[in-house]
Amino acid sequence: MNVTNPVLETRGLAKRYRRGVWALQGIDLELPAGGITALVGPNAAGKSTLIKTWVGFEKPTRGSVRVAGIDPWKDRSGALTHLGYVPQSPALYDGLSVEDHLDLARQLRPSFDREYARGRLAQLDIPADRGARSLSGGQQAQVALAIALGTRAPILLLDEPLASLDPLARREFLHVLTDAVRGDGATALLSSHIVTDVEQACDRLIVLGVGRILLHDTVAAAEAAHAISSTEHPNAVASFGAPDGSRIWLVRGTGDRPATLDEVVLGYLASGRSTAAAA
Amino acid sequence: MSGALTWARLSFRQQKWELLLVVLGVAGVTAGMVWFANTLEALRVTSPQCLGGVSGDPRMSFSVPAACQAFLTEYYETENWASNLTNLAWAAPFGMGVILGAPLVAREIDGGTAQLAWSLSRSRVGWLLRRIAFVTLFGLVLLAVLAVGSELLTGAIFPDRTLGEDFVWFGRRGIPIVARGVGAILLGVLVGAVVGRVLPAVLASILVIGVAFTGISLALDQVNRSEATLQPMYAASGEPEQFDMAALDVAFGIETVDGEFMTYTDAFEDGFTPNFTDENGQVFESEADLQAGEPIGRDARLVIAGEKYPLLVLRDSIVAILVGLAALALSAVVVIRRRPA
Repeated sequence: MNVTNPVLETRGLAKRYRRGVWALQGIDLELPAGGITALVGPNAAGKSTLIKTWVGFEKPTRGSVRVAGIDPWKDRSGALTHLGYVPQSPALYDGLSVEDHLDLARQLRPSFDREYARGRLAQLDIPADRGARSLSGGQQAQVALAIALGTRAPILLLDEPLASLDPLARREFLHVLTDAVRGDGATALLSSHIVTDVEQACDRLIVLGVGRILLHDTVAAAEAAHAISSTEHPNAVASFGAPDGSRIWLVRGTGDRPATLDEVVLGYLASGRSTAAAA
Repeated sequence: MSGALTWARLSFRQQKWELLLVVLGVAGVTAGMVWFANTLEALRVTSPQCLGGVSGDPRMSFSVPAACQAFLTEYYETENWASNLTNLAWAAPFGMGVILGAPLVAREIDGGTAQLAWSLSRSRVGWLLRRIAFVTLFGLVLLAVLAVGSELLTGAIFPDRTLGEDFVWFGRRGIPIVARGVGAILLGVLVGAVVGRVLPAVLASILVIGVAFTGISLALDQVNRSEATLQPMYAASGEPEQFDMAALDVAFGIETVDGEFMTYTDAFEDGFTPNFTDENGQVFESEADLQAGEPIGRDARLVIAGEKYPLLVLRDSIVAILVGLAALALSAVVVIRRRPA
């Protein structure tokens, strides 16, 4: 996907951990400004590693990353001013209240918009004087999101924030995120290993499997690209290219219906695994 | 100013239980010191005749009148308990390093909050400096209170000595307690940043702080030895020399007949066996030498005179602070380079 003025970029990005495992290999990615992009893939696909290289938490073994044109490993401070980050677990301070967290964020980033974050939390009826420890998982995730939104950063990186939330909390979280991103014109990259979680919220989709990008496209294009007619295969809902040039049919009960996004991702992961196995 | 107060409030809440623990500990020990100091003063006023018998120093009274037995027993027991408190004052900076320093960054990494803090803060070094500022300052204020309390107690136990020029209980009172606190707390921070988990960091910091300060102490001993002066226990005439109570004892040993100083350990290692000492402090290798009047040398000690006390306090304090600053610099490197979780 060629993008002019990408807000998030990687060039030949590879990351190998000390134990010799390659988490990412040859990742070339350009993300345009605006909208929500879902970064999906199974566990250990490298989603968190990819996000953490942009935040400056993981150093690339090879290649480079850029945030708004800035390499966070050369100018961490410059890159971070463009970023709001929600970690995988909310990671709030046990001894601090919600209000304390907003104060802390303000102390650490003077441009932090405390009133905006406070307003977001008030809409969700999360009491500012409650201790972080006494909040539910969903509320903690909302506090983490409010802090990221309060930075008013143009780019939001959300590292599997939905993983530990119940369905209602997931829905509420996505609602707040979508509302904020649409309202502020920000760019959000939201990782998840459950496609159905993010399907409704995202505009674009990146499928990451075995450390490689298997798909990067708009959701509509991704769904359309693999649609088949029932005449091609009676019980398949989509098809994908196999390493040997043949086609992989995604057979799901009776065909004659478009593949869901979940099924498209499943197909990519299956063909990605086949490619890796063939290699 | 309000920003600094907000940060202080947040820092306090993040480490509330450790801070309360050290406040209670320091308050208890300091209160004990003040109480013992007052008790000793009061006892001294009650029976000055029992304490002042032989000299101003009660421990020099060898012949105790029967009427004073009970009083002196009480006095010395009280003094003994009081001196134990100064041992706590000596240990306090190291305890601060373990209790306050080690969990500081380790908990942020262990609990994952470093991810939040490091993604918000434009500079991790800036974050580190601010993160440790309040806790370090808090710890140092407490240590200063303890140092003053210990100084007060020392003054109560040794009322006739000029503590500003006296090495009595060197390291267990005054400024060195605070300076060592700087070193120990920042060493604890370094261990916590490297280890990244609270309990292992606390345990490792006990070892690291212990080894670091033992090393510093041994190194300073060598420096002291190079600067110490020889003080024979007996004059050439055989008369006992006035024992300099205020001096810092660097080593005990023998002043050889050719004017050199050797410790007893050195003597054994050099093949001497200084087993015989006469009443004039002359040391002989054998009974035959004793009979023949051919000594190896005479009992002596290496000392640093009491008037150098301020100089050594300054030097020890600077070394402890420099160790702390080095640990802080290393912590900054670790924090810049490491993963937040």
